[in-house]
Amino acid sequence: MALMVSFVSVAVSILYTPFLLLILCVIFLASIGKSLGVRRLYVNILLKLFEYGRQHIEVAKKLQRTDSSDEEETPVVDDNKPPSATIKENGVNGTKTSVIERQEILGPSPELNYKRSASQERVHNGHTTDPGKLETNLEFHLHHCMDLVRAGMESIIEDQVTSVFEAEELRSWNLLTRTNRQYEFLTWRLTIIWAMGFVVRYFFLLPLRILIFVIGVWWLIVCTACVGTLPDGNLKQRVNNALSVVCFNFLSRCISAVITYHNSDHKPRSGICVANHTSPIDVLVLMCDSCYSLIGQRHNGFLGLLQRALARASPHIWFERSEVKDRHAVARRLKEHISVPDNPPILIFPEGTCINNTSVMQFKKGSFEVGGTIYPVAIKYDPRFGDAFWNSSRYGMLHYLLNMMTSWAIVCDVWYLPAMHREAGEGAVDFANRVKAVIARRGGLVDLMWDGQLKRMKAKKEWRELQQEEFSKRLKGE
Amino acid sequence: MGNKSSLLLREEEIAQIQEETGFTPNQIERLYSRFTALDKNDCGTLSREDFLRIPELAINPLSERIVHSFFAESHDDRVNFLQFMRVLSHFRPIRKNRENRLNSRDEKLRFAFSMYDLDNDGKISRDELLAILHMMVGVNISEEQLTSIAERTIIEADTNNDQMISFEEFCRALERTDVEQKMSIRFLN
Repeated sequence: MALMVSFVSVAVSILYTPFLLLILCVIFLASIGKSLGVRRLYVNILLKLFEYGRQHIEVAKKLQRTDSSDEEETPVVDDNKPPSATIKENGVNGTKTSVIERQEILGPSPELNYKRSASQERVHNGHTTDPGKLETNLEFHLHHCMDLVRAGMESIIEDQVTSVFEAEELRSWNLLTRTNRQYEFLTWRLTIIWAMGFVVRYFFLLPLRILIFVIGVWWLIVCTACVGTLPDGNLKQRVNNALSVVCFNFLSRCISAVITYHNSDHKPRSGICVANHTSPIDVLVLMCDSCYSLIGQRHNGFLGLLQRALARASPHIWFERSEVKDRHAVARRLKEHISVPDNPPILIFPEGTCINNTSVMQFKKGSFEVGGTIYPVAIKYDPRFGDAFWNSSRYGMLHYLLNMMTSWAIVCDVWYLPAMHREAGEGAVDFANRVKAVIARRGGLVDLMWDGQLKRMKAKKEWRELQQEEFSKRLKGE
Repeated sequence: MGNKSSLLLREEEIAQIQEETGFTPNQIERLYSRFTALDKNDCGTLSREDFLRIPELAINPLSERIVHSFFAESHDDRVNFLQFMRVLSHFRPIRKNRENRLNSRDEKLRFAFSMYDLDNDGKISRDELLAILHMMVGVNISEEQLTSIAERTIIEADTNNDQMISFEEFCRALERTDVEQKMSIRFLN
């Protein structure tokens, strides 16, 4: 026991100086906005490791299967494509894998019900609709229930919404226990690799990251306090922009963020910036490149501390809890903010809730009614290195942060998209949908018509009534 | 199946389900992970609320009948995984040259019949048909029109003039319908 203690104390005293130097190095690099490329190298090494792990798992699983019963049909395994290929595929469904072939998907707006066999049903119903005739056109047949029943069964097997509020399923394991849904012991080799990874993540990376986090937050508070002493004006804004990027870059190292920004010429300078929402980390990711104003509810505790610190240096919009429901107040303050040309762009997440980064849900129209230029931004996380999604019903904030800091890394792509304006005669809802479609296409996410509030609320009765109306139309042959 | 849902199915359980329903082990595992995802309270069985939490199902006009079909065999108003799989297996596509126990054309027709037959007496009465029509169209078509549709449908299908549709009459009425295609769900991979 005494030997252990002396060993540890020797190790500490030897490692103390280089460790400190390492920290200072990180701080220095963050301040000048440069990077050694260590994180990218680390990410590349991890990719190779995952690939090795994946092939190993496949082989092990095949061996297992061949000594149990033989299968009815040999499944066509599309896993020959390396995960990196599917991730880079934009415009398709990214990494989402479907279990069944959906024939019909009912949605909140029935005219957008996805039907595989287009409008065959409608046209098929024979009688040409003569507006004069009414009752006798109703062609009902006993098989009419079958489509609805099948659509219902399909939705029980796989639906668009419930999966979106859970962490994304990975095609192959990334050596984190939390992502292994069906953890089974496969081989010793894999378990050893996993154990080594565990040691590295929890005993080496985690303490380092916690340290960086603490220093980073402290540094942020100090900087914003200093900037806050300057008189309001252009100079203060410029200083704040520069300093905030530095601070957030430093903070981003505490989750080993490797962020690739695309199309920086479309970077927002003012107006409203909208992005898809996966977690609070989105803010960090975006603020590493540019300074934004945030909008949200005032919190207490740690988050409140950060909010107050940020508010000293730059105009942010923080609401009291009671004001949140007052849409006019929100709209008014938004307008006020964007009318000042020097103000940084406001960062808004119109989905209103965290989604698991495979899909984009309905955008709330509030920010699209205000006028002004909208700068869409698409954020896509690479799920192999760590799941950035915050499942607030399962994990509290602290647990989530711990998960982030014990993941391998947070790797993501940010695409800045060209500015969009509301066209004359276009409603706010249509505009919102247009922006959403652009973001979904760029990020390789599924464009859903569903409301993000379904996380907490039940489906509305009106939607069902709309489906009934849709079915009646089919009967009438319209 | 035990009461506690474990993340893994045992090999014997998979084999048993495969034997009974014809799903491949791969499909069974995927469906099991779906089952556990729906099972929010982690108790190994599903309740009606668990099903109706799926928005696409909740807005389906026939959601009650569909959910009810899972509980037909259940005693305690909960569905375990085997019952879940049995119902879903009716929707497997028909395979030529293989045994189709639960998903033959006859079984699919029986399932569709059970959608209409509310009291499970083996016959579809006019009132039952009317109730289903109500579910499907809501308030968009008038009561008289619905009644006339129901009556006409029964007259067309009823051959023994008992004002009800039996299973045989049902099958005959659907002779020319491609039941296999309408009541099948194709699995990818």
